[in-house]
Amino acid sequence: MIILPYQIILTVVIGACLAGIACSLIGTFIVRMKLSSLGFCMSHAAFAGSALGLVLHINPLSMAILFSIAVALFLGPLVEKAKLHADVILGIMFSLMLSLGLIFLNFAPETAMSSTAMGILWGSILGMNTSDIINLTILTSLIIVLMILFSKEFKAIMFSRKMAEASGINTRPFYYLLLFLTGITVSLSLKLVGGLLVFALIVNPTSIVCQFSYNIKKIILFSPLCGIVCCLMGILLSFLFDFPVGSSIAIFSSIFFGIAVIFSPKRKRG
Amino acid sequence: MSNHLKYNYIIELSNVDTIYEGEKIPAIRDVNLKIKKGEFLCVIGPNGAGKTTLLETINGLLKHTRGKVNIFGKEIRKFGSSIRKEVGYVPQGFSVSSLMPFLVKDVILMGRFGKIGLFKSASDEDYLKAKEAVKLVEIDGLLKKPIGKLSGGQLQKVMVARALAKDPKILLLDEPFSSLDFKASAEISERISFLHEKKNLTTLMVIHNIPSIPKRCKRIVLINEGMVIQDGPVNEVLNSGSLKFAYKVRK
Ligand SMILES: Nc1ncnc2c1ncn2[C@@H]1O[C@H](COP(=O)(O)OP(=O)(O)OP(=O)(O)O)[C@@H](O)[C@H]1O
Ligand SMILES: [Mg+2]
Repeated sequence: MIILPYQIILTVVIGACLAGIACSLIGTFIVRMKLSSLGFCMSHAAFAGSALGLVLHINPLSMAILFSIAVALFLGPLVEKAKLHADVILGIMFSLMLSLGLIFLNFAPETAMSSTAMGILWGSILGMNTSDIINLTILTSLIIVLMILFSKEFKAIMFSRKMAEASGINTRPFYYLLLFLTGITVSLSLKLVGGLLVFALIVNPTSIVCQFSYNIKKIILFSPLCGIVCCLMGILLSFLFDFPVGSSIAIFSSIFFGIAVIFSPKRKRG
Repeated sequence: MSNHLKYNYIIELSNVDTIYEGEKIPAIRDVNLKIKKGEFLCVIGPNGAGKTTLLETINGLLKHTRGKVNIFGKEIRKFGSSIRKEVGYVPQGFSVSSLMPFLVKDVILMGRFGKIGLFKSASDEDYLKAKEAVKLVEIDGLLKKPIGKLSGGQLQKVMVARALAKDPKILLLDEPFSSLDFKASAEISERISFLHEKKNLTTLMVIHNIPSIPKRCKRIVLINEGMVIQDGPVNEVLNSGSLKFAYKVRK
């Protein structure tokens, strides 16, 4: 265990809460709209972009956003039309992005490899700084505002995109808005959680909450709370045992999910 | 839909083809269909004839690849979303995952979301209309149930209520009775006929069971292999040779 100054701990805790809220809120929509594999590709693209940024000395954050949104723009239409082999393309894209990211990291300067590069892969509690916190605050507020503003539309699309369209909603802008927000969210959370496992923070919290409710309002309300818990517990684990942050979050939230499944009222009789 | 254009036909299809993505042969071909406001039509035809394709071409969920589709005198290609705000659609065999986190009442109200429009939330009127629809199909007892926990017939009733909740000007029903018991299907059929009479609701219903064609239906469209092969008064179509031909009944 390392002793850290109060300032850094505060930054990490606030960052974790914000990343937890942003990821799990986005996750609720991603999972319900069956876009998990696309999101998965996008988070690995963000990782690749960030790694390239590191090598080329370009701001890794903007490269991450650029990469993940490029992937969304490329794969989004395929997934949207449920074109044949979208699964295959997603699988290929995911491994491509991961390999690119790893290759880029190989070219990273030696010193960078130790800390920053590892941070991009596995996340780091030391990765966050004040400007990250500011960015995350803006992003989280933006997500909340948009979700409230378009809650009708997003709910209808989550139920069934086809029926939402039949009720007179033009669903395409919302689909791409969600992908866009996902790209920014994974990119901003990358430093803390790491590119390899940021997706655990998107999928797991909402899946845990879904075990307990059929009411979408409650799910949207409690997923971010669950996201915060997962994030903070992950950081605590990482703190205590010196695990990578991403792994700690993934392990904690998976165990949490397992317990939720066991105790889920949805699986009880009588 | 602020400026209502004058139109002779509320639904007008001229020389319409619809080809599914990745297919070569049109699923419906050279369809010409003119429907006046307040008409009640039934669409019949064997499995795979193109009935569902026809309904979804009318409301624009499927993009037609040739010809013209005008609803309320406007081109569906250009005004799809705004037209669909006034068109109720009950899809065929709709199913949802058993874990779907929505309650029945949410799903019914959602029918109005397009109509309510962006940046607005549901008003008292919206809840009232949803309630009326619920009363009409008599599913008061289901409102608080998760949508994924209904029987096939119950879900079908909910989808009818959802379509009616928006108080549509056109109602498209794709085999709305397929999972209903005989009593429920007679009741819903009667309610739809009632709405047709009371609101002059233009109604298009795909139906397999010819004896359950509602009495108010005065016109039948028979589709076979993507083409309209008969279109006329009920008795005329039912007694024509085309029916036997389409269903390949010998003798
Ligand atoms: N998504 C699709 N992609 C490609 N072809 C399709 C698709 N959906 C339907 N088809 C084809 O289009 C034709 C018409 O299908 P449609 O669903 O309109 O038939 P239908 O008359 O509604 O049949 P049913 O009575 O079984 O409901 C069929 O030959 C079918 O194989
Ligand atoms: Mg059909």
